[in-house]
Order: sequence, then structure tokens, then C-alpha cells
Amino acid sequence: MAATAGDARAAHVAKAFKYGLKGITGYLEPAERELLRGLLDDVISMLEPQQSSNEDPLTALIGLDMNVKEPSDRALLRLLPNVMKNDDAASLEFRQLTERSLREGKIGALRATAMGLDRNELVLTLEEAKFWSMALNDVRLVLAERLDIRDEADADHVHAMQDWSQAEDVESYLALVYNFTTWLQESLVQAMMAAMDRKP
Amino acid sequence: MTTTVAPGTNAATCTVTDAGLKGEERTDISEQSSTDLLGAADIPWNLVVWNDPVNLMSYVSYVFQSYFGYSEAKSNKLMLEVHKKGRSIVAHGGKEQVEQHAVAMHGYGLWATVEKASSGGDGRGRKGGARG
Repeated sequence: MAATAGDARAAHVAKAFKYGLKGITGYLEPAERELLRGLLDDVISMLEPQQSSNEDPLTALIGLDMNVKEPSDRALLRLLPNVMKNDDAASLEFRQLTERSLREGKIGALRATAMGLDRNELVLTLEEAKFWSMALNDVRLVLAERLDIRDEADADHVHAMQDWSQAEDVESYLALVYNFTTWLQESLVQAMMAAMDRKP
Repeated sequence: MTTTVAPGTNAATCTVTDAGLKGEERTDISEQSSTDLLGAADIPWNLVVWNDPVNLMSYVSYVFQSYFGYSEAKSNKLMLEVHKKGRSIVAHGGKEQVEQHAVAMHGYGLWATVEKASSGGDGRGRKGGARG
């Protein structure tokens, strides 16, 4: 697991989420909103199920997908993991029953977050904040796969990248984006915990 | 690390282990019953959450608190077990129940799997299907 990224502030001008009288509030610059929107859209398009023309509309309606396979893309597999560690057949069977609704749930949280970015003021209810934290988490999981973060040492290496003036290649740019989303999610979760403490 | 573990009172009583959930303990019940009192749903299963280098410790603890309704102390204890030992059994119950939890965990982006309680790492699991 990753510890906090509390020192990532200097790299950007967003304000940490906090919990106060108005609820959970944050602030993002237009360029940061644009960046997040792009990331959310990327993950949404990864998760949108491929439409097959010969699909039985009834099975689709009840959420079944008999054509589903274990994802070959590592990032997608991380978002939609196998339910059993050493039983591929049982995992696939479970996937047929559940993957479609899992994808839809994730897309719902990602879309809700993207819509929230369109508002002038970032004031979130606890329910909205939950969708934001889920969406940011999925964005980070995908970025981490692209950055090849396999263990804590890799994560530390990426985390050390904090200076935007050093971003010369795609990998260092991705690392900075990853660190930004990590910092944003951490501040959001702290604000949510504070909100939960007040609401027993 | 941002989260600290409060020395909570109920953390000790809520310790999750698979020691008391061996399938063998239930065999006498199934022999007594003529009908299918002991269906597949009665065999205990574990929900396992695995460590990964991405998920924030604070977020994992938040998920345990908000989804399972666990106390902050218990959630932090389970979170640290995931972090330090690589995995933790965070819930157990019937197969369908833990499968439902697993999908919920996947919704949150946590890496979760289900396993029969008796095969919880002691190498003598009584697996029904011999695939995999």
C-alpha cells in the first residue's frame, strides 16, 4: 500500500480537500480540471464494454455477459480482477455474472466525478466524495500499471518525482500526474474521515 | 503513513482468523441431517484483501469502515495486516455473501479474492474442483 503523499503540494496550485461548515470542499485550477477530465475519460473508455452485434438483449438486460474473458490488458485486469486466486474457470464463470455491472458501477463513479468537475465550486457531499475517491483510485491503478509500479520500491521511485520542470519524457510526466492524483485522493480521504467522525 | 492505529478495545475481540472455521468441524452435522440442511452456502468462505503498492492506507481503512461498518481501530488493524503480511481475511461467511463483498471491494478498487475457509494458506484445503 502507499503511504501519504503530503509533500506533493509544491508542484501544483490545487488546494487539499478539507471538511468544514460547507461540507467537503476543494479547489482545482482549470488546467488541473482539464487534466483530471482527460484521465477520467481514458478510464471510462477502457471500461466501456465492447458491443457485440449478436448479443442476446435479454442476457444483457439482466447483466450477464457470456462472451466475457479475463482482460489481457494488465491495467484492466487490475480494475476487474479474478475473484479466485487459483481457479481460472470459477473466476471466469463469476466474471460472466458480475463483470458487466462492475464495469457499469465504475463508469458511474467516473462520470459523476467528471460532472462534478464542471461545477464552479468543488463542494462535495459524503456520497459524492465516495464516488470521487473511487474514481481517483481507479485512475491511479491505471496510471500505476502504465508506470510499471509493481512493488513499494517502484512506488517510492515514482513518488520521488516531484518537479514539473523535470518532466521531459512521457514517463516522468505520468509520474507527476500519478503523484498529483495520489495527493488529491489522500486529501479527499482525510476530509471524508473527518466528515464521518462528525456523522455517527 | 498517515493513519495511526488507536489501541482500540474491540480490535482484539474482532480478530479474524480462519482457525475456527475448518470445514471438518461440520461433517457431523451433515451426517445427522437427512435433507440438505448443509448446503453450499453453509461452507465457510473467506474474503481476502491483498496488498498492492498503489492503494492508499487511508483509503483501504476508509473502505473497511464505510463498507463493512467496522470501527476505525478494527479497520486500521486489518489494513496494517494487509500492508505488512501481504493479505488479510477481512470477512467470512457463505460463498455468495463473500462473493458479493469481493465485487464490492473490486468496485472500490481493492484487490480481493474469495477462498474456502479451510484452504486459508495451511496447504490442506479440501478443494472440490481439482482445476487450476
